[in-house]
Amino acid sequence: MLEFENLRFRYPETERVLTFNGEVGAGQCLAVTGPSGCGKSTLLNLVAGFLNAESGTLRWQEQDLQPLPPWERPVTSVFQEGNLFDHLSVQDNLGLGIHPGLKLSRADNAAVAAMLDKVGLHGMARRHPTELSGGQRQRVAVARALLRGTPLLLLDEPFTGLDPDTRQILRQLIRDQREQGAVIVLVSHDASDVESLADRHLVLTA
Amino acid sequence: MARLLFLILLTLSASLAWAGPTLTVYTYPSFVSEWGPGPAVKQAFEAQCDCTLEFVALDSSVAILHRLRLEGESCTADVVLGLDANTLSDARQTGLLAPHDIDTSAVRLPVDWQDDTFVPYDWGYFAFVYDTQQLPDPPTSLDALINAPENLKIIIEDPRTSTPGLGFLLWMRKVYGDQAPAKWQALQKHILTVTKGWSDAYFSLFMNGEAPMVLSYSTSPAYHMAVDNTDRYQAAPFDEGHYLQVEVAARLRNSPHPELARKFLQFMLTPAFQREIPLKNVMYPAIDLGDELPDVFDRLIEPSRTLYFEPQTVAEHRKAWIDEWLNATAR
Amino acid sequence: MAQRDRTLTPPFSHPRWRAWPGRAVALLLAGVVAAGFSGLLAEWQWRAVSDLWQSAYLRQVIWFSVYQATLSTGLSLLLAIPVARALHRHPMFAGRGLLLRLTELSLVLPTIVAAFALVAVYGRSGWLNTALDGVGLPFRWNLYGLQGILLAHVFFNAPLAARILLQGLERIPANQWRIAAQLGLTSGPLWRTLEWPALRRVLPGLAVFIFILCFTSFAIVMTLGGGPSATTIEVAIYQSLRYEFDFSRAALLAMVQLLICGSLWLVASRHGTNRNLVPGANDQPGTLRRDARRRDRVLLYLFLVFLALPLLAVVFRGLPGLLGEAGDSQVWWSLGRSLSVALVAAILSCSCGLAILAASQLARHSGHHLSARLLESSGHLTLLVPALVLGTGLFILLRPQLGQPHQGLALVAGINALMALPFVLQVLRGPFATLPPNSLRVADQLNLRGSYRLRWLLLPLLRRPLLLAAAYAAGLSLGDFSVIALFGSPSAPTLPLLLFQQLSAYRIEAASGTAFVMLALLFVVFYILNRWGDRRRRHPASRRLAAGEHAHA
Repeated sequence: MLEFENLRFRYPETERVLTFNGEVGAGQCLAVTGPSGCGKSTLLNLVAGFLNAESGTLRWQEQDLQPLPPWERPVTSVFQEGNLFDHLSVQDNLGLGIHPGLKLSRADNAAVAAMLDKVGLHGMARRHPTELSGGQRQRVAVARALLRGTPLLLLDEPFTGLDPDTRQILRQLIRDQREQGAVIVLVSHDASDVESLADRHLVLTA
Repeated sequence: MARLLFLILLTLSASLAWAGPTLTVYTYPSFVSEWGPGPAVKQAFEAQCDCTLEFVALDSSVAILHRLRLEGESCTADVVLGLDANTLSDARQTGLLAPHDIDTSAVRLPVDWQDDTFVPYDWGYFAFVYDTQQLPDPPTSLDALINAPENLKIIIEDPRTSTPGLGFLLWMRKVYGDQAPAKWQALQKHILTVTKGWSDAYFSLFMNGEAPMVLSYSTSPAYHMAVDNTDRYQAAPFDEGHYLQVEVAARLRNSPHPELARKFLQFMLTPAFQREIPLKNVMYPAIDLGDELPDVFDRLIEPSRTLYFEPQTVAEHRKAWIDEWLNATAR
Repeated sequence: MAQRDRTLTPPFSHPRWRAWPGRAVALLLAGVVAAGFSGLLAEWQWRAVSDLWQSAYLRQVIWFSVYQATLSTGLSLLLAIPVARALHRHPMFAGRGLLLRLTELSLVLPTIVAAFALVAVYGRSGWLNTALDGVGLPFRWNLYGLQGILLAHVFFNAPLAARILLQGLERIPANQWRIAAQLGLTSGPLWRTLEWPALRRVLPGLAVFIFILCFTSFAIVMTLGGGPSATTIEVAIYQSLRYEFDFSRAALLAMVQLLICGSLWLVASRHGTNRNLVPGANDQPGTLRRDARRRDRVLLYLFLVFLALPLLAVVFRGLPGLLGEAGDSQVWWSLGRSLSVALVAAILSCSCGLAILAASQLARHSGHHLSARLLESSGHLTLLVPALVLGTGLFILLRPQLGQPHQGLALVAGINALMALPFVLQVLRGPFATLPPNSLRVADQLNLRGSYRLRWLLLPLLRRPLLLAAAYAAGLSLGDFSVIALFGSPSAPTLPLLLFQQLSAYRIEAASGTAFVMLALLFVVFYILNRWGDRRRRHPASRRLAAGEHAHA
């Protein structure tokens, strides 16, 4: 269960302050909505540890997340774009989800290949992200998130601008994760995304 | 990549082991270059000393002095070779040098040389070298140069940064005395530019045909005549006489091998060393080589008068004379 | 499998590995400078201070240094800005590759070769005046004087400036160009809305950098300056140190130089030259620019000629000597030695540069902005402090190890690396500060830290700037003869030393040949490293996967 209570963030340049409250339990998906600039992405970045809160609490399974650096948090983020390293092949991008030094065993390689099949990218392992369509790139990003298998998934407009097929596949994958007990926080403008995935809603105001 | 780096470092730092004592000599780079006297001198001396002769080339003769001052008492060199009459006073003042204790009766210089510390190993005159194709009739005196038509341009070196530059400053001073600043002003219109060092003047400008005359040494044409086989570049003899350049060596007080150092200084005044000087250092030998002096040296100019200040005088007045020159020319 | 990555600690991932290598480099540099000054101050006399305002000579020297450096910087930038814009407007310009290589070359040319080359073209009897005569113009160009100094400095620095400004323009996101094209913006509005804001961030740092290069320029100022009135502070320092043994005056002048250049540097870095830069998506040669004009091409061709002519002079003069040299093994051995030294220097310099940038970034992220600035400034000390002072400092620090002249070349490589550091930092700083933020976040989350981050993220992303920086470092090292002569060289010369030895032995033709070999070598080094940087490299891991795919097919 992920809880955040009076989680305050101050933008260094504008001095604007945001406060977040909410919680989401195992096997649930929390949809965060609200107008542009209300701090949806900021919330995700606070949970992931890319930004640091000024005060308040942020807990995962009763453990305080705030002292932990991003790589020690049980979190995987998927952004709208820029998830992949363009200089690395699809294989390596996925491999990094398993071992940061790309020291992969035979079984790890098998897992990567299986995951590629699962997201419908069979045979694309040697391509580079720049050779893929936007939809294909996002499939790779989600595939890596699943390979990492962290119990907390942070999705920041992950399906925006994708073709209906890809959307369908990715939504299904996310639902599967949720059913296996993962906690999902979803930021999306798209009502159908929210409707098809979310169990709880958090509406932020500007 | 790491392996490659390792190999390179290994090669770079590979050092050789030698038997016998090592005599360390500080000198300037052209002395030890492939075409300088260094390699032959090393071979000849090692054949008779049962030691290793090691040259350490510093970037100029002034750099040798600079190094001595930096190292002070901890200096491990045995001999310094390459100081000249204009730096030797400062070198003496460091107190790091020892009397040479050798027989210098073989020395033949245009001036009487009596010094208990410094042993001369070669000498020459400063002179203007000119391109006979551009300038068939060069000026025959400093006066004639100063009064030449304005379109006659010369290239000189800066006395603040170069040996020939300082030599010319002293030359002007010796000839004109207190009139020197006025004469510098009169000469100004002929000076194309003042370079940092001899190489810039000779290579970048003179050899590019920028001016028909460059401040150099009276011995410079020897190399062109003997090796390039061309008489195109000649030194212009000046009626007032030419300023003398003497290059000297000395041994260090803290030398670990004082006897060997003394032996080297003595060796310096033998034909085995001196015969390498004329064409490899392009200077006059400091002893009478007799028939061994290359023929081209007979065809060099022989100044009517030798101009020379005692080193002590130079040391005392150098700064004032340079300031005087700056005031006269830096307008 | 899922838990494995979060418990794993990548090698060298402790924050001290980000902080300490850079701090060590900075400390080393500060130590060298401190030792250099302390070596001089041992003979300190207060009289030197009053000299500073009493001596008309010193006042004139300081004034002239500032004056010529300001003019040179202004002119270099005035030429560089239109050239960079024209290059950006014409990504398919026929001579673009050649022009870019030449822009890199002029800076690393050894001064004696550069002086020779400029004189051959612009001298009294150079090609320009011959051409003017040929067409019957009464006008003759006089090289010597302030105009000669400015010409040389523009020749050295405008290309560097154009190169760095072009990088700045290329960092403007493609979308902004598309929008500008849709709005039909012409040259003027484009300049105001897109180009100037992008260049404004680079310009202060670049201008100060060029100012310092011109301020400390020495041999070329004397040679082309025409007389002792063209004297810079470095000449006065050299004179005090080497010929007058007035160590306190040398130290004082060195401090004046450090003060003038250093404070300019701090002011420029306070203006945040590298903050808030747009993230770099910089390889988009097909940028939509509607304002390309014919006169851009004319400008580019003129600039190409300006850069190429002097180099051609070196080639022409060198060819006859080269034939004689080819049979001389000495030149090839020297070439080998020069290359080894340059390679080591380049690798060391880039490593030091990355270390400093990593440490300063860490400091900035922890809110220590001053120490971040100091770290980066330390990398420029070798530029701010006169070489003779540095040499003295290094000598004092290293003397116990200097017993064997055979260590000379390794030492030279190390010192060359430090000397090249300001140039390396200049090239790397922008790209390092503008790595795509999402990539960095993803990397953090994936535990891509320590050596893994270097291997899989930084080296590939910084590949092009790193190789360019390496080329500059290697080039500077290839052309260096001051350091190698400073410590007492072994009899085995590098190429520049060989050139000087040939000159002092009156082997003018061989020396011209050596100059040509050196120029060709510089060109080849820049060409190869650039080609390497441009090549799209497929990762070996993809081949590994191929095997994996078969196994699971």
